[in-house]
Amino acid sequence: MANLDLLKLTISDIAPKIRSGEVSPVELTEAALAQADRLQPALNSFITILHDQAMTQAREQEAALARGEYLGPLQGIPIGIKDNIATGGIRTTVGTKVLSDNVPDEDAEVVRRCKAAGAIILGKENLEEFAAGATSNNPHYGPVHNPWALDHIPGGSSGGGGANVATGVTFASLGTDLGGSVRLPGTFCGVVGLKQTFGRVSQRGLLVTSFNGDHIGPMTRSVSDSALVLQALAGYDPLDPSTVPVPVPDYSASLARNLQGMKMGVPSNYFFELVDSEVEAAVRLAIEALQELGVETKEVSMPSMEYSGALRFSGMADSVVTHEPYIQAKREDYGPDTLYRTLAGQFVLGRDYSKALKVQRIIQEEHARVLQEVDFLVTPTAPVAAPRIDAKYITLDGEEHRVRGPGSGIISRFTSPENATGLPAITVPCGFSEEGLPIGVQFIGRAFDESTLFRVAQGYEAVSPSRGHWPTVIDQG
Amino acid sequence: MPISKETLTAMIRDYHGFELSDSEMDLIAPELDAYLSELEKIRDLDLSGIMSSRLIKADEGGHSDG
Repeated sequence: MANLDLLKLTISDIAPKIRSGEVSPVELTEAALAQADRLQPALNSFITILHDQAMTQAREQEAALARGEYLGPLQGIPIGIKDNIATGGIRTTVGTKVLSDNVPDEDAEVVRRCKAAGAIILGKENLEEFAAGATSNNPHYGPVHNPWALDHIPGGSSGGGGANVATGVTFASLGTDLGGSVRLPGTFCGVVGLKQTFGRVSQRGLLVTSFNGDHIGPMTRSVSDSALVLQALAGYDPLDPSTVPVPVPDYSASLARNLQGMKMGVPSNYFFELVDSEVEAAVRLAIEALQELGVETKEVSMPSMEYSGALRFSGMADSVVTHEPYIQAKREDYGPDTLYRTLAGQFVLGRDYSKALKVQRIIQEEHARVLQEVDFLVTPTAPVAAPRIDAKYITLDGEEHRVRGPGSGIISRFTSPENATGLPAITVPCGFSEEGLPIGVQFIGRAFDESTLFRVAQGYEAVSPSRGHWPTVIDQG
Repeated sequence: MPISKETLTAMIRDYHGFELSDSEMDLIAPELDAYLSELEKIRDLDLSGIMSSRLIKADEGGHSDG
């Protein structure tokens, strides 16, 4: 099998070949590194490519397999790690000049788990500065480019990971999602992006973030791969108080079951407002496809969502407190988008922060009530397909909305509320715009019920019009 | 900007905030405007009964219409 054909496989496809010895982790890693090197000038998806370490890990896993030590489906699989997730002894910049020399002493818990599962860490992936935005237009390490159209953004803040998964550079990439930063690169790059339930996966070693609502989650080329990666990541971490000691089910067991008789909620407000007509059409077709698979539809109203903009108050205040020591020490090293968006947070009143927590509560309660009546919710993942890299504004319903920097937030309009609810949400590709840019549909589920999301997402994935499409950049060069 | 630069400057001075030049005030303005705009939307929202311990009733607020 040619190298590119190998790289186009999913983890589910290639893991049995690695186990049987048909595919060598060393040869696979060499192929992935060559693909990374070839596409880096076009995509700028890495801040650091770990050639030597990746090859060392690959040789170790190949030797382990030869000794009969099988660690599971991630063994020998090249993956990427967003550069705000700590890697011991390896520079972790968080996408900022402020931390350009930062070398953590130890791995984040998720990195430790991936290594324990035998995964090969190919590199540290490019992102928005401090993961504080939805574009991945990084002012210090350069913008990440969307593989489907290089003059468009890949989404953010985990843009490097989305671009790498979409082009066969990595089989999975770990991103972080505080407002949609896994799901947005997922939808803009045409891959699967998962934000599991808050508390399901340890955040220990995720650098410079908020106490509220951040998640480390996988981007993959299939839903079954998302389940495999979550299986490796999930579980209580006694050193991370945000994790919850609940059992982790066998996620793969929930796959390949029919959807007959399930109930989906289609919001009648908010989630289909301020959305591009092409995106809405693609998501409506996804809903019809689910109906044809036997899923019952219920229209649901979620009036509290009209107040969801207030959720930004706590994010603003958290951000300025999080950044305080860095701004004091190296203010001049910040890019303007992140700096001025962050500094506005010093004017948020404590009273308004507390109100935001109450709004968060009513939105959580509303989701809880609605999800007693339906098994999952269906929404667009983003209101538009990927904007151009040089776009400062997008226009929706005749009004201009900022794409990046102070005052932005339109792109994460449908994703960020689920960071406040903590509920699991997954994006799955559901077609393309006229320009050929991917569109994603988001499924939202009940707390700690990722299994249902995987079942629904995989059922839909099998009939999605996105199946079998690849960005042309993968074959060029 | 709905909050005057004089007020912001006084807040920075009295609350030991990060200093901002006049031009930097203009750069943060869109974020501050978004904050105040969203604040306006919840101005009349009664949040007095929202407590972390309150019982959720199945028939209040959001519901399915189907």
